[in-house]
Amino acid sequence: MSAVLALAPRLRRAGGRDGRLTTALAVASFAVMTALTLSVIGGLLGFAGRAADPVGAFQREYAESYVVFAWTAVVLLVVPLLTLGGSAARLGVARRDARLATLRLLGVTPREVVALTVVETAWQGLVGAVAGAAGYAALLPVWTRVPFQGSTFSAAELWVGWPVLAAACLVVPLLAVVSGVVSLRRVVVSPLGVARRQTPPGMRAVRAVLAVAAMGLFMVVTLVLGQLGAFAVAFAVGSLALGFAALNLIGPWALGLIGKLRVRRARTPAQLLAARRLVDDPRATWRVVGGLGLAGFVAGALAVAPVLTSGSAREGASAAEIAEMQTFTGDLMRGALLTLVITFLVAAASAGITQAATVLDRRREYALQVLAGTPVELLDSVRRREVLVPMLLVAVGSAGAAVAMMSPLFGVAGVTDPSGLLLLVTCLTAGCLLVLGATETSRPLLRSVLAEPQVRPD
Amino acid sequence: MSTTGTPGPRLSARGLVKRFGATTALAGVDLDVAPGESVAVMGPSGSGKSTLLHCLAGILVPDAGTVALSGRGLHDLGERERSLVRRRQYGFVFQFGQLLAELPAIENVALAPMLLGTSRREATELAGRWLASLGLAGMEGRRPGELSGGQAQRVAVARALITGPEVVFADEPTGALDQATGQDVMRVLTETTRLAGASLVVVTHDAGVAAWCGRRVEVRDGRVVADERRAPQGSAR
Repeated sequence: MSAVLALAPRLRRAGGRDGRLTTALAVASFAVMTALTLSVIGGLLGFAGRAADPVGAFQREYAESYVVFAWTAVVLLVVPLLTLGGSAARLGVARRDARLATLRLLGVTPREVVALTVVETAWQGLVGAVAGAAGYAALLPVWTRVPFQGSTFSAAELWVGWPVLAAACLVVPLLAVVSGVVSLRRVVVSPLGVARRQTPPGMRAVRAVLAVAAMGLFMVVTLVLGQLGAFAVAFAVGSLALGFAALNLIGPWALGLIGKLRVRRARTPAQLLAARRLVDDPRATWRVVGGLGLAGFVAGALAVAPVLTSGSAREGASAAEIAEMQTFTGDLMRGALLTLVITFLVAAASAGITQAATVLDRRREYALQVLAGTPVELLDSVRRREVLVPMLLVAVGSAGAAVAMMSPLFGVAGVTDPSGLLLLVTCLTAGCLLVLGATETSRPLLRSVLAEPQVRPD
Repeated sequence: MSTTGTPGPRLSARGLVKRFGATTALAGVDLDVAPGESVAVMGPSGSGKSTLLHCLAGILVPDAGTVALSGRGLHDLGERERSLVRRRQYGFVFQFGQLLAELPAIENVALAPMLLGTSRREATELAGRWLASLGLAGMEGRRPGELSGGQAQRVAVARALITGPEVVFADEPTGALDQATGQDVMRVLTETTRLAGASLVVVTHDAGVAAWCGRRVEVRDGRVVADERRAPQGSAR
């Protein structure tokens, strides 16, 4: 085992330029994940601190609700952030698949292959976590400019503390290792399996049934609850988690279904290839666009916020009460927008890193296609279509689902209020453009890969 | 270009020189390939045979010398035009990996004519006929991972020939196959190419593979050191 582990640093260096690039991308993703996660935790701790020791009437009245909303943001962000970390781990492992498969064929045991992966991925995770912790510290001055509850946070309020930073440096490599080992299973189970692709088993429609049942349950219960209250708000937080679970259940299944429909309708090579890739691995596409799906869900829920603002000016309210409500709803919008921006950034990072991994994984296939006369523009078109169509469907679909789920809480006005819908459309458009921009970053990588014609595998 | 009544070579290389840094991969290669001719380019690793194939196919641009396809010089063409030549007038069979893993066999074959503007329906019908003619009827819906190595190479042969190319290039087409399957693939490749009226250039280091071609050219240190014609294996049938 020790002899094999001694290979780890050599394997790390042996990847050449592509190896260094993928390592850099993976480390950068772990860093982004860590920095944003620590920022979100810092925000949660900041609000919890104010709730524990409220200053002024406003904080005494509303601080507890802010903690609930901060938890909501955590729920909203945890899945995209974990997805980003998972993509980073997979990217790191993907580049080593072939070499590790060769080692397996040379007689290295599955345990040793796993150990090699653990060492390398943990190293990337650790470097990313340390860089992310530094990034979090660098972002603190940015977050201290955002006003909440009538005043901005101090850096001390948003400081997570050394124990949390140390925990991040432990947890991120751990998560990276788990994700890396899971994606390595195929090398361990069958070294030949890496090169052989077979028709993946279809996903069952029970996913859709479960997802629709979860959404329906939420809508029925909220109708029964009838009116907004502290319990209903807390319930809404929990229901967001339910909504996310529903989206993650239905997302890959729906993408696979859409892919099948698009295969049937495809007329051009680009349409056919993009649709086949969607059918081939809808989970992989979901990993790219899923983050935006969750962001779409946030945006959908956000569309009802203007209703809360207009509802604040109720009859008989004193000027002070109106001012308090305006601060509250303003903070709600600001927090939601902040969450949304972070979600979009994470989704864009996920999309960029996954596309880069795809280009590197398929470089031999791409090179052979181009050598045989396939225009590079076709590969670009396929790459764009692979993301664009599912992204639009997912973003619009999940936003629609969120609006539908929230409608029992906020009434039909939440759906029809034009300012809310305008905000929704603006957010989705900006998010989609951001993700598309991120996927375009793999364009020069594709050109660079194709510049080295390697027809032979050796 | 030929001015006599006899047809000129389909593919003609003159004085090809290609260097990679300080290494000279081709040091002045002349080669003519006649219409319908099958040529095996042999040589040890690093002899320059793959570089020669890449130059003939317009993948690499030689540092000196010319390549002409049916009298038309490739050296004057830009990358986009050479890509078009490869798509329209050339066919390729590689060792492995040229089939797209997510496409079933029939779509892998149909993709080539679709890239030239043929409708999906027509391309699929044509691909179905090609697969059937190569003994792959009933396997149209299988993906490359669900085919044996020999079956996958037959699909690659169909894909290379479906557009009616003038020249088919095969780079170690049996390199990933066992001997019996390799022989079978070579039989299919040479027979089908001959029936399609295309020329065939096979790069290999395997004498057993080269035996299927009517001409053997040996390359060493970037030069042609032997060029002999003999009856190809299977020609007596």
